Amino acid sequence: MKWSQFFNTSIGKKLLVGATGFFLCSFVLVHLAGNIQLLYKDGGKAFNTYAAFMGHNSLIQFIAWGLKIVIVLHALIALQLTFSNRRARPVKYAISAGNQTSSWYSRQMAVMGSILLVFIVIHLADFWAKFHYAELPTISYEANGEPIKDLYSIVWQVFENPVWVIIYVIGMIGLSFHLIHGFKSAFQTFGLNHVKYNGLISFVGVWLFGILIPIGFAIIPVYILFNH
Amino acid sequence: MNLTLKVWRQKNKNDQGRFETYQVQDISSEMSFLEMFDVLNERLINEGKEPIAFDHDCREGICGMCSMHINGRAHGPWAGTTTCQLHMRAFKDGDTITVEPWRASAFPVLKDLTVDRGAFDRIIEAGGYISVNTGNAVDANAIPIPKDKADAAFAAAACIGCGACVAACKNSSAMLFVSAKVSQLALLPQGDPERSTRALNMVAQMDKEGFGSCTNTGACEAECPKEISLTNIARLNREFIRSGFTYEK
Amino acid sequence: MLDAKIPAGPLDKKWENYKGHCKLVNPANKRSLEVIIVGTGLAGASAAASLGELGYKVKAFCFQDSPRRAHSIAAQGGINAAKNYQNDGDSVYRLFYDTVKGGDYRAREANVHRLAEVSGNIIDQCVAQGVPFAREYGGLLSNRSFGGTQVQRTFYAAGQTGQQLLLGAYSALERQVALGNVTLYNRHEMLEIVKIDGKARGIIARDLITGKLERHFGHAVLLASGGYGNVFFLSTNAMGSNVTAAWKATRKGAFFGNPCYTQIHPTCIPVSGDHQSKLTLMSESLRNDGRIWVPKKKDDNRKPADIPEDERDYYLERRYPAFGNLVPRDVASRAAKERCDAGYGVGSSKQAVYLDYAAAIERYGKIEAGKRGVHSPSPELVRQLGVEVVAEKYGNLFEMYEKITGENPYEVPMRIYPAVHYTMGGLWVDYELMTTVPGLYALGEANFSDHGANRLGASALMQGLADGYFVIPYTIGNYLADEIRTKAIPTDHPAFVEAEQQVKANIDRLMSIKGTKSVDSFHRRLGKIMWDKCGMARNEKGLKEAIEEIKALRAEFWKDVRIPGTADEFNPELEKAGRVADFLELGELMCIDALNRRESCGGHFREESQTEEGEALRDDANFAYVAAWEYKGDSSYELHKEPLIFEEAKPTQRSYK
Repeated sequence: MKWSQFFNTSIGKKLLVGATGFFLCSFVLVHLAGNIQLLYKDGGKAFNTYAAFMGHNSLIQFIAWGLKIVIVLHALIALQLTFSNRRARPVKYAISAGNQTSSWYSRQMAVMGSILLVFIVIHLADFWAKFHYAELPTISYEANGEPIKDLYSIVWQVFENPVWVIIYVIGMIGLSFHLIHGFKSAFQTFGLNHVKYNGLISFVGVWLFGILIPIGFAIIPVYILFNH
Repeated sequence: MNLTLKVWRQKNKNDQGRFETYQVQDISSEMSFLEMFDVLNERLINEGKEPIAFDHDCREGICGMCSMHINGRAHGPWAGTTTCQLHMRAFKDGDTITVEPWRASAFPVLKDLTVDRGAFDRIIEAGGYISVNTGNAVDANAIPIPKDKADAAFAAAACIGCGACVAACKNSSAMLFVSAKVSQLALLPQGDPERSTRALNMVAQMDKEGFGSCTNTGACEAECPKEISLTNIARLNREFIRSGFTYEK
Repeated sequence: MLDAKIPAGPLDKKWENYKGHCKLVNPANKRSLEVIIVGTGLAGASAAASLGELGYKVKAFCFQDSPRRAHSIAAQGGINAAKNYQNDGDSVYRLFYDTVKGGDYRAREANVHRLAEVSGNIIDQCVAQGVPFAREYGGLLSNRSFGGTQVQRTFYAAGQTGQQLLLGAYSALERQVALGNVTLYNRHEMLEIVKIDGKARGIIARDLITGKLERHFGHAVLLASGGYGNVFFLSTNAMGSNVTAAWKATRKGAFFGNPCYTQIHPTCIPVSGDHQSKLTLMSESLRNDGRIWVPKKKDDNRKPADIPEDERDYYLERRYPAFGNLVPRDVASRAAKERCDAGYGVGSSKQAVYLDYAAAIERYGKIEAGKRGVHSPSPELVRQLGVEVVAEKYGNLFEMYEKITGENPYEVPMRIYPAVHYTMGGLWVDYELMTTVPGLYALGEANFSDHGANRLGASALMQGLADGYFVIPYTIGNYLADEIRTKAIPTDHPAFVEAEQQVKANIDRLMSIKGTKSVDSFHRRLGKIMWDKCGMARNEKGLKEAIEEIKALRAEFWKDVRIPGTADEFNPELEKAGRVADFLELGELMCIDALNRRESCGGHFREESQTEEGEALRDDANFAYVAAWEYKGDSSYELHKEPLIFEEAKPTQRSYK
């Protein structure tokens, strides 16, 4: 089987979705580590310095563009699978088993993923595009230091508006359920199902990626809303 | 007990199909679900109507022929049970029961509750066997197989090919069926020579038949009358990856 | 007199000699020889696969939606083979002897010996195909014991041995389909044999989905269509199991052998009501560990747990101390009937006996506790460990019992009663498995078989696979070698046209009756006549009555059956009607045969012929023959006898005491 054929099979496509998913998991971990600096009340020094570094380091920029491609790939292949899955059942059941035989979020990966995708577009337009292409106020933290963009203040401004906070929280709920199933599911797709490790995989998937990380992200706008 | 049945009626492949409602009276809790259908059919015949066509044969849960989607569940509410082994004890007086055929583009409805599962045979044809002609075998005990491996192979081989996994899966995926056969043969040393081609060809055929892909929801395992485990799907994935990455052709 | 064409020479050399001298067909010629196989159970699927491998052009037919559904799949307990892996004194001769004796000396010695000879190869072949037989911790195959034998020679895969063997044969068959050697016709039913110049040359089959009649040519036709237990309506057979293929062959000149030999299996779940559509077998392997009993007191309505040990009658252990609960099926069934008829039956219907696992659970629990070093285990622990062991061995059977009855067999003894399970009779075949119609073969349960008047447990799977894998590939060559000059006959040949017209006329006749009663209602009534008068015990008066009743029922059927729908669509009622019409003829022949055989042997128990203790009494002087019946028109059959000569296994009164 040629590579082109291999990755065109249903399992091949799932492997791509899983692999890109794993990559995105690692990204959210790093992203959260950076973002948590928004909570320091240091006038944005730590966060803005970090943002400036991330924005100027060429290796990171390269990875950042790769990241966007991975997101698009992940979404496109998953959508393609979703549509072919729907075609596989042209006449729906009048009555379905509902949650008796599977968890609702495992069946709603496409919905959760779509929420996330919309969220990501909003999020990128909001901060990433502004950071790179808009005129931002600058700030310098050291005497004679080079002025850097003050993304920190922008973030704090945005989240004064509860509407934005709600949008972000919804996005993170989507992320939570997407990862509770997605993390474990990707292991299964790669064939990694072993009674000795399933507990650990499940634990990490649910608690770290499904709960801690989304809460970590969501806590930032909520905290800002109540502390500005 | 008295029950209301909503049953899918469809004259043939090309018919649109619709639900019809029937009242059945004096159903004993000792009856099997199919015996309840026998009673209804007997009545329909006496009334000069067409009986409901449904697949069934052994009525002891092993041939895999019966296939009803009952109140949203493949083979009905009991876990690990085929439609023919489901007994009316599972219901109570006054219940409304909705009965549909398996729904999947790969399983076209032939009539009423009868579907065509030929796709499963074609998947087996693609590699669900060990190529050993009659008379070529060595002595059976010349191939010792660890008990745990033999037991796992048996657990996978217990699949009855009824298609409940496809019916239960929101994607109409046949992965549990395919993985059961691939697992059985992958766990046994006899299956080794054809290991690479088997996984690749069976998956290719599965895709060709129009089954959906697996999103690991676990509904198939929950509905499988033989309780075939999801670990088999993981094993199929491993076999497929291994073959895809290493097989030279 | 019938010639079985048994090869000359000593018994244990006959098959070897035959194989060494039979005619062969060269590979190039095989490609132009077509073989039709009807039925895809163990015999049909294994034959189709093996003949496909050899290079013949095979067409395989089954009425189910896939070959994998054939009823062989429901066999539970196991398959016998004279491997002697247990070093417990087994041998080919022992298996041969046990089978002839178990069959109450009504089987053909040469066939049985061949069966025993190839039994080991079957296990080898199945293991090579990936059949996951049960194994010991050392990785070698495990065995269990079965009724009628004193060695452990039964190979098994939990309680699903038939399924695993059939799926093995099915996969071999599908492989040949993929290679283009076999063409499959699913959801097709054979409705007529086509004979040209006295030889079987094809079939007429109905596509069950479209209702279209099809003509298929074959240089030879193999019937592997199973048994006819469904003549009793209630049996452990699948709902679709039928005699139609074999019966059409009978009407085309194939003799029907020993139709009255029916096996009533002792361990089935009792009938629960009038709605019952079929009966479910509980594997004979359960008799390995379970103890069968009834109360010593008549009409004892206490719960089984309330009946103390000394008020229980373990009647099999009492009557047959040597074999105890493991006596052959016919003996165990009759003993159960005897107790129930005498008023000792249990359950609401009083037509059941207990199969009790309490003793086994305790015994295994103690052993297990001992293994774990617990020296004085509590009764709770013993029970818990015992239940675990029993669940490991028989779990799926216990679950099945609970689903059907709603009772937990780990807590309450199972209720069991005999039910029709297998038919030893079938199309008469010679040593080569050919019927009296040249080119027409019968394999597996469809033939009158190697089991005589009673089949031992775990021997049906053995015979089906022996016929398909190891016998027919040789014997068919001996016939087809002379057919290499016969070109495929076009199906517009007058014989095909006529056969198709006949089938069509028969279907039209059925459809045009438009009576008032359903097919099932006739089938039930036929079943009741058969069970009451040609069931576990038969007598002259009953059989004569049954013959008249069946005739009357048949006449009524052809006047008053109602078949809804049309013939050119998927119409399960029409399918059933055709099958019941054939059962209505076969049932009569079974009674005629039972009436003719004024002796008791194996599954055939004539009340007039029993010992003082109520055991079956054979009459070797007058009945040591196979009764092969030739169809001579409506209700008219001519008896042909094939004398049975026993050179090795000298007939004795069968004793399991």
